[in-house]
Amino acid sequence: MNTPIQYIDRGRTLQKTWFLGWLTLLLALSACEVEFTPKDINLDPEYVVEGYLELGEQALPAYVILTQSKPFFSTLPIDELENLFVHNAEITVSEGAQKINLTELCLNDLPPQVKQLAADRLGLNLDSLKINFCVYIDLNGILKAKEGKTYQLDIKHGGQSLHAQTTIPEYVPLDSLWWRDAPGTPVDTLLQLMTKIKDPPGTKNFYRYSCSINGSAFMTPFSSVNDDVLIDGKDFEFRLIKPNFPGEDFDQSNFGLFHTGDSVTIKWSSIDEAHFNFWNTLEFNKGNQGPFSSYTTIDSNIEGGLGIWGSYNSRIYKLKVEK
Amino acid sequence: MHNIEHRSGLLIVYLLAAGILCYGQQSTFTISGFIKDSLNGETLLGANVYVLNKPGQGASANDFGFYSLTLPAGEYKIVYSYLGFQEHVENINLTSNRKINIQLNGGVLLDELVVEENKSLDQVTSTNLGRIDLATESIKKLPALLGEVDVLKALQLLPGVSSADEGGAGFYVRGGGADQNLLLLDGAPVYNSGHLLGFFSIFNSDAIKNTTLIKGGMPAYYGGRLSSVVDIQMKEGNDKHLAAEGGIGLIASRLTLQGPIQGEKSSFILSGRRTYVLDLAQPFIAKSDFAGTNYYFYDINAKINHQFSDKDRIYLSGYFGRDILSYNSSERGFKLNMPYGNNTATFRWNHIINDKLFMNTTAVYNGYDFKLKGEQDLFSFQLNNGVRDYQLKLDLDYYPSPGHFIRFGANAIHHRFTPNILQGRSGEVSFTNDYKPKYGIESAIYFQDEIKLSSRWTVNLGARWARFDQIGPFEFENKSYKKWQKVKTFSGVEPRLFTTFLINPKTSIKLGFNQNQQFIHLVTNSASTLPTDVWVPSSLMVRPQRGYQWSLGWYKSLREGGWNVSVEGFYKDMRNQIDYRETYTSNQSVEIEEAFVFGKGQAYGTELFIQKSKGNLTGWFGYTFTRSWRWFKDIEQGRRFPASFDKPHDLELVSNFKASKKWELGGTFVYGTGKPFTPLRSVYFINQELVTRYGPRNSARYQDYHRMDLAATYTARPGSKKIFTSSWTFSVYNVYNRKNPFFINYDLDSDLVTGKAEGTAYKVSLFPMIPSITWNFKWK
Repeated sequence: MNTPIQYIDRGRTLQKTWFLGWLTLLLALSACEVEFTPKDINLDPEYVVEGYLELGEQALPAYVILTQSKPFFSTLPIDELENLFVHNAEITVSEGAQKINLTELCLNDLPPQVKQLAADRLGLNLDSLKINFCVYIDLNGILKAKEGKTYQLDIKHGGQSLHAQTTIPEYVPLDSLWWRDAPGTPVDTLLQLMTKIKDPPGTKNFYRYSCSINGSAFMTPFSSVNDDVLIDGKDFEFRLIKPNFPGEDFDQSNFGLFHTGDSVTIKWSSIDEAHFNFWNTLEFNKGNQGPFSSYTTIDSNIEGGLGIWGSYNSRIYKLKVEK
Repeated sequence: MHNIEHRSGLLIVYLLAAGILCYGQQSTFTISGFIKDSLNGETLLGANVYVLNKPGQGASANDFGFYSLTLPAGEYKIVYSYLGFQEHVENINLTSNRKINIQLNGGVLLDELVVEENKSLDQVTSTNLGRIDLATESIKKLPALLGEVDVLKALQLLPGVSSADEGGAGFYVRGGGADQNLLLLDGAPVYNSGHLLGFFSIFNSDAIKNTTLIKGGMPAYYGGRLSSVVDIQMKEGNDKHLAAEGGIGLIASRLTLQGPIQGEKSSFILSGRRTYVLDLAQPFIAKSDFAGTNYYFYDINAKINHQFSDKDRIYLSGYFGRDILSYNSSERGFKLNMPYGNNTATFRWNHIINDKLFMNTTAVYNGYDFKLKGEQDLFSFQLNNGVRDYQLKLDLDYYPSPGHFIRFGANAIHHRFTPNILQGRSGEVSFTNDYKPKYGIESAIYFQDEIKLSSRWTVNLGARWARFDQIGPFEFENKSYKKWQKVKTFSGVEPRLFTTFLINPKTSIKLGFNQNQQFIHLVTNSASTLPTDVWVPSSLMVRPQRGYQWSLGWYKSLREGGWNVSVEGFYKDMRNQIDYRETYTSNQSVEIEEAFVFGKGQAYGTELFIQKSKGNLTGWFGYTFTRSWRWFKDIEQGRRFPASFDKPHDLELVSNFKASKKWELGGTFVYGTGKPFTPLRSVYFINQELVTRYGPRNSARYQDYHRMDLAATYTARPGSKKIFTSSWTFSVYNVYNRKNPFFINYDLDSDLVTGKAEGTAYKVSLFPMIPSITWNFKWK
């Protein structure tokens, strides 16, 4: 997504990149990076909640991934990775009088067909799945999310209690989508994706963008969320950036541009303020290392733990990349 | 307003009393005048005038070289002296007021490496606590990073002053923040003191005459910052003949021209410096995809002065400097431009009202601005912030009698602070965060009197009454303030009390207390200050900072061999300190004041300073122990943490050796406790990827920092009387190539689904051993 905040962020990131480029030039004078092992701070692990409730197309039932934090490590073997999942927790989602329990599901415990179904819904590629992935999920899809309602999340485990709440916001759609030539020197195979939204005036609106290419799992760019402080009430045109695939290197010549012939699925969501703060601080934290950075604490709405209980109000837009 | 009248009334009564008291005594007469350098006419600030064999009966020249000494009628031998110059003795028969202007000759001692702690004889006897004067000639002898001699870097080699980072020009004095130092260039405050992210300061030492650092007792004459004053005076310009000097270095080159306009009545100096590394590479860059990419900085210092009469002299000085970064990638049509810099202009008028009363009126314009512009295709944006000041100052130096030296005056600054205003365009639609500048008037009146109670005991009593009015136009919570309308007022009295007791003529003890207020703030979110950092005024949202400092010092002068030793201790209490809340990200569209959290700070320490200023081997040794702590109730529930620049142990050894007539060697060695940093507390998975959790704040430290630099200066024809002379300086930074850590990087490679979880932590160091060569020349 390429709204003003992201440009400032991108401008700052590019400015920092430039500074770092200058530094790299100086650093190139000698090998100046030395590996070291950080000391174990020896603090207790914390609960990490990654829970989502979605309203809209292709919405998953409410689910929570419950794990623990770990001190810094150089390599974590698979069995220790699996131990990060917290089992046998009591997790409930409630709204008004309605209250449902989330059931723990571990993929390896499921019969193959069900396992495949579950993996597809969660966006996991079974071929590459090497661990016993566990989620707490509204198995029967009892909870029906409604716009404007607030949903409480309560977790009990090991004598501890965690709590959070999220509200499903009003949905603001993408007004239109179209393709445009790549900026600078046009190239036959690369195009920019442009879009327009009509931001409702007077209310605080927050947005998240992700996209899937040729049926991949949904991916997000380096900056996936935005608020409407600068565009409140405006009919705003901007560019949606193509995220890099996991492991793909940054290449300035095609960064953020879509390849002709690809099929693209855009998910455009409205989210609440706490959910926005979570992704905003997380993405800032990820991009923020080096001498000119400060440590950023990832904002969390979980009382008693880390992570997020966030709701989405989403629509899907499918297009083919062509002029 | 009631208060000002009341206080002004008291002031007038005091002055009248002091005047009457003197008048009532036996007839006394005053000698006064200016003390200058005979070679180039530069005034010698702080030069001493005293009765031979009676240093207690003396005075110092003020910042403009003016002195005034009142004595009973009689015959005297008056000594005029200044370190590095030949003493001059004047025989006088004092029967009336006399005007005696003196020009001192530079002696063979001129080339010594000198840090004049309170100028020779006064170091032990004056009430100046924690004050150090640095002559520029001595700074030039120090080895420097990439050959760029730098006033601020030289200050970092003194006890009590520590640097931010590897190579940074930012500095911290006695545990106080980077914004707590009042940096003055010919009376104009400087808001951003660094080029290239702070690796080089904006001060071109060729144009600078004197640098004074006050880290302890700040006299009432100065105010507005909690921790220190760095008062930099530019040269006036050679008033006898035209001269040029300059140098060519690896990073930048400099050229200075100076000379008389009207022989010995007026002169000028013009000094410039510019980098050119990327300019030289332009032909290659122009052919690449990055055509239009460049970085350079420049500064210009200019000054003219004119003496209208015996009583009047005016000066006009200016500084113009800029860093310009432009980045251009033609392939994707992306352009980025970042120009920023300071411009200052100062006009001063010296007027001698009578032999005992010297007046200086100053008018200052000061502007700092930062811009960041970017564009790509349909999209463009511009971010800018800055500060703009207009200042008027009136200062009087009054020498009513030998026992009193009084300074009083008033000043007012009209500030305009521009926060990060964002404007942009996406296609047809424009957007802006619509921030508006904030305005304020900072004003003060002050009074101080240095009183010689006896031959051993001197006290300096002073107070500064300072005030800040936030004024409109301003809008806050649906209330609108008109232009000049008062929004909020802060004020307070700042007592400044110092005393010196002479145990014997060569040993003294000093004690001091000062209270300070600071009305403008620079809150930085990163480990080093960046040009994107924004100065904010006190306002409805931000209270002023307040500081209290107690200092105690012991001073000894061993004049044989020119040794000076001092031990100083201090305790500092700082209130209303400002930081950002923990979840702050600089890309939010909120005014930064909304992200501030407030707390307090405390600093304490001792400084040992041993200096040798005579002979072929000169230099100094400094050791400082300081702790600087912070508490914020909104950061980790008020847990005490060390400030980011907390450096418990800081050691410097600086030396200069005249090996022969042609060769001069210089060396520095620094050692400091490693900087604190916030370590990685844990990692956890979000969206199948590892994210980092940092904490507790500043609870870990980098390894200790140490480094040695060496320099050798070769002058082919030393003592040559030729018009054109030159020398070569070879220097090596970080001689034994120590990899001092600069920052830490965590590389996390993870994918929960495939079971991959790997982390690597790196310590990255910046400057390895770097040699450099500079060629310097002088033409006269």
